[in-house]
Amino acid sequence: MRDLADRLLTYEAGAGKASEPMEFATLRVYGKLRQSLGEFVGVAGFQSLASRALALAKPEAPSLSETQVSGDGALHGLGEIETQIDMNKDVAGEGGIILIARLLGLLRLFLGEALTLNLLRNAWPGEVIDNHNSAHGRST
Amino acid sequence: MSTEDKVKINKLPTGVPGLDEIVGGGLPEFSFNIIAGAPGSGKTTLAHQFVFANATPERPALYFTVLGESAIKMLRYQQQYTFFDPAKLPDSIRFINLSQVVLERDLGAVLKEITDEVEKANPAVVVVDSFRTMVRKPQSDMELQSFIQRLALFLASWQATTFLIGEYAEDELRDNPIFTVADGLFWLRQTPERNSIVRKLQIIKLRGQDSVPGLHTFRITDAGVQAFSRTFGLSGHLKDPPSHRRLCFGIPELDKMLGGGVREGDSVLVAGSSGTGKSVLATQFIAEGIRQGEPGIVAVFEERPQAYAERATTLGLDLETPQKVGKLKILYLRPLDLSVDETMHSILDAVQKIGAKRLVIDSLAGFEMALSPGFRADFRESLYRMIFALTGIGVTILSTVEVDESFTEFPFSTYSISFLTDDIIRLRYVSIDGQLRKIMVVIKMRGGNHAKDIREYEITDKGVVILGKRLTNYQGLISGIPVRSDRPDSKEEPSLDTGIEHKI
Repeated sequence: MRDLADRLLTYEAGAGKASEPMEFATLRVYGKLRQSLGEFVGVAGFQSLASRALALAKPEAPSLSETQVSGDGALHGLGEIETQIDMNKDVAGEGGIILIARLLGLLRLFLGEALTLNLLRNAWPGEVIDNHNSAHGRST
Repeated sequence: MSTEDKVKINKLPTGVPGLDEIVGGGLPEFSFNIIAGAPGSGKTTLAHQFVFANATPERPALYFTVLGESAIKMLRYQQQYTFFDPAKLPDSIRFINLSQVVLERDLGAVLKEITDEVEKANPAVVVVDSFRTMVRKPQSDMELQSFIQRLALFLASWQATTFLIGEYAEDELRDNPIFTVADGLFWLRQTPERNSIVRKLQIIKLRGQDSVPGLHTFRITDAGVQAFSRTFGLSGHLKDPPSHRRLCFGIPELDKMLGGGVREGDSVLVAGSSGTGKSVLATQFIAEGIRQGEPGIVAVFEERPQAYAERATTLGLDLETPQKVGKLKILYLRPLDLSVDETMHSILDAVQKIGAKRLVIDSLAGFEMALSPGFRADFRESLYRMIFALTGIGVTILSTVEVDESFTEFPFSTYSISFLTDDIIRLRYVSIDGQLRKIMVVIKMRGGNHAKDIREYEITDKGVVILGKRLTNYQGLISGIPVRSDRPDSKEEPSLDTGIEHKI
């Protein structure tokens, strides 16, 4: 799921301004997931998934140590810490990729790959989801 | 109003094998339906099957989930069923969670949320799962009734076929306004009967078309819900006109006793105690049919098909080849929680697959044992429905039944099912000259001549072989302890009865 998370972040980074920090792209991916999954699983359902994904991601990404998921499923504190740790854009985006990959990984775990990808197609163009050169299902 | 003037109600496939027949051909389009039942009764699975059978990208299905099973878990489990097509999500089937609005706001806001989504998506199918939790907050009866009324009106006006799913108890049927508004009411039950669980489905109400009344058994397998109609899917089938053809056993003397064989479409009962050759006679009946080009089905309950075929080989009858070429099917129906309807489904399926003309049920006692305890209580009624349905499509049925040998009585069956059969052949032991020998008599042939003779027979490596002519030098043969008389054995051909039905 890391490849897929990477593609989604790259796509959203391309959709924003070149100068903006990488965490903006992370927040946009997260926001789209929150919207499309929230409709499907409800606010509480998404909040549960997101907080679990964050708990799984934190040990791998110190930059997420202060990040929190609020009761309505919103993500707080992502940009601030990343910026403090490292200004290098590639490194700064790492925490976001891990968080999104973990969230997608949970979806795949519960729903299976086919259904997860179908749900994502609702929020992103098919070519971003179906990158046949990438290894689908690679573990994060 | 002429037929042409009447509005034609389209019938939608339910996606549940067997259910279309029960609801009268399909679910009425734009109907407002309730699926009620206790937790675990299969409500959600049934709704999913309907959704997957009818949703398209142009006319999708909206599946509103409320409090209860989360959509993630629901889809995790539902996708295990074979009907679940992940490609249909999310374009053809959209899941929308209404928990927040239900928890935080009133029914008016819930209705607004539903109407907004419906107006946006133009769905063909709408499901609310569970509707019960949606209206659980305290509110006045009038408020609830108004909500249901407006929801039903709106969804019908927007040309959506709707399912509301709810955990209702049967005593709520009278007072809950939802049941008044609904066009269709499907009630699913699962009840423990001794060590078995029996699932039953009832269409309590279905406006606009005839559904099959009564309780229909259903099963949940990896293909989802499968329903078994009480009429076995044959309710629209006209009974075939009576045939005058006779089906032989391939045992010349017995065929003569039967006036040329049993009538096509008859139900024949072969009754006798253990070891009298009931199964042998049944095997010869099926083998002769295959020889005559009539495919057959043998439903066995007491031995495996392989053992059944091997036993036939010892009688010089080849049942292996006809199985390979699709002229014979030996069904082994042994699970202990079968319903008659499921058994019938298996048999009918096999009958239709190979065009079977003859069916052997060996034996009724084994059949009864294979049924769930609750169905055993209705065994006679179930047999009646099954025999009526099968003979109605021209299948000739031979059933074997074991009867307790008595030397004071001459019972035909322990099930008192003689009235279900057209023809009865009774086999029994008699004590003659210090030997336990066997005799056979045709007790009854509905609407046909048959011999009144009592004949002695043996079971040899050629099967049942009738010996000599009728036994006239004994009296009291059917008591099992005959007394020798001075009359010599008959050398006459079997005399045929007039065919007047005897009261048994």
